[in-house]
Amino acid sequence: MNAKKTLATTTKIILWLLVIVFFWWALSNHMFSKIVEQPAQFISLLETHLKLVSISAGIAILTSIPLGILITRPKFRKFEWLIVNTANLGQTIPSLAILALAMGFLGIGIKAAIVALYIYSLLPILQNTIAGLDSVNPATKDAAKGMGLTSTQILFRVELPSAAYSILAGVRTAVVLNIGTAALAYLIGGGGLGVWIFTGIQLFDNSFLISGAVPVTLLAVIVDLLFRGLQLLLVPKGLRLARKAAIDSV
Amino acid sequence: MIEFQNVSKVYQGDVKAIDDINMTVNDGEFVILLGPSGCGKTTLLRMVNVLESITEGDIRVQGKSSKELNPIELRRNIGYVIQSNGLFPNMTIEDNTMIVPDLLGWDRKKKRNRFNYLMDLVGLNPDDYRKRFPHELSGGQQQRIGVIRAMASDPPVMLMDEPFGALDPIIRHRIQDEFLAIQQEVKKTILFVSHDIDEAIRMGDRIALIREGKIMQYDTPTEILTHPKNEFVSEFVGQDRVLKSMSLYSVQDLVDAFNLESSKQEVADTKMIHSDTSLRVAISMLLNQEADQIVIVDQQDNQLGSLTLNLIEKFLHREVKGKER
Repeated sequence: MNAKKTLATTTKIILWLLVIVFFWWALSNHMFSKIVEQPAQFISLLETHLKLVSISAGIAILTSIPLGILITRPKFRKFEWLIVNTANLGQTIPSLAILALAMGFLGIGIKAAIVALYIYSLLPILQNTIAGLDSVNPATKDAAKGMGLTSTQILFRVELPSAAYSILAGVRTAVVLNIGTAALAYLIGGGGLGVWIFTGIQLFDNSFLISGAVPVTLLAVIVDLLFRGLQLLLVPKGLRLARKAAIDSV
Repeated sequence: MIEFQNVSKVYQGDVKAIDDINMTVNDGEFVILLGPSGCGKTTLLRMVNVLESITEGDIRVQGKSSKELNPIELRRNIGYVIQSNGLFPNMTIEDNTMIVPDLLGWDRKKKRNRFNYLMDLVGLNPDDYRKRFPHELSGGQQQRIGVIRAMASDPPVMLMDEPFGALDPIIRHRIQDEFLAIQQEVKKTILFVSHDIDEAIRMGDRIALIREGKIMQYDTPTEILTHPKNEFVSEFVGQDRVLKSMSLYSVQDLVDAFNLESSKQEVADTKMIHSDTSLRVAISMLLNQEADQIVIVDQQDNQLGSLTLNLIEKFLHREVKGKER
């Protein structure tokens, strides 16, 4: 227990040192010069990037969660394998291939990129929604039903609050993956910060590369933190405490 | 009152889970559905609040057929307790307990008063537990909450599916006693599933012994122990049924039966036994050679006489065997 903790702290310190070294190197070599020289261009690339992510992930959230709820209802249980396998397919195909396929159908541009990113985000949310709802103790649901709660009341008062942690974890994974993958949108003319990254690769120009890549990374880290905060807000206190107690007792 | 009228349940492939059951649970009566696992006792219980469908026949709760009522409405008027308590992990103890009153639209104050009353009933301090969560409670406490949650809206009828089955023997015994005391006060009509003959004898006013979906015997614990109707019943209650029946009597019953005179003499260095102790415990004390005779005392420590194995044997012949035909 204690050895584990020391190891964890040491790893953390080394990681932060590396980050500091990297930024020191990058700043002293004017690696972020592009951001300073072309702020308007940077803002517009960032905007496109955010647009790609928010629209595709937003639609993915709005479809995956209800879909997950639907196929965990007894009536639709038999379609679970079909839908999960379809979503699996979206995840197994390399992201680049999805982008290529989307371009094949929808042509070049931001629309194709959004569709590709949407398909790519479906599975983690769907899977976690199903896993979260499945993890609700059947006895709890039975007691709720036996006391006269309707199916809707059981869903909103018991099942969804209990599954909130898992669902939010799925959303977080999907959005963070999405932010990274959105850098590839440049390849099919979708724009975003990928434009600078790929320019940097093609021109062997580190300042382009880093001015594009570091903001993408930071964006992913910030969004990850935001979602952790959201988990604190949305997961019922009792479940958070229970989870913590379970982890501490190990 | 719960009435079962020719109730049957047939699963696909002609498997009869419940076979033509007729029985009545009277108002305020505590009835145990007893039987080996897979005998259909839980299925029968769950048919009362329509968690299981009824293939044939009818079950009437408080005079109303479950076919006439909407299942949601019906269930809200029947308390339901299960073995693994089924508390909602996302809700506080108060919210858990008051879920049905909440659905029924009770106001805050009424809910709070009810919560306080019920917590007092099971000996838990309402303010200490109000904001706690189920995982912070011990198994016994969780089960107490499970029980009072079922009583929250004061339903006349309660269904209990092995509610104390998952608890360790000491806690189980204590909660059984507590619940019996509560039942004395609230007088609910209770249908209680158990596979434990000792629990059934301790708790039930009547026991319905079930095997393969049929009632083998529906009688008081005394009758079941002393006059088992058939081979299955006598086998289920066990070879030591006479001993078991002793737990139905208290030392006071023996005192009353023999009109024992209270001896005023002071006896030094003897064991004492309270008159409300069960005879089974008394026998155990005597056989344990803790003493040849035990002084019986009442609540105020007045001596009522002395107890010997001989006396118990005499009582047994008169009260238990004497009734055998």
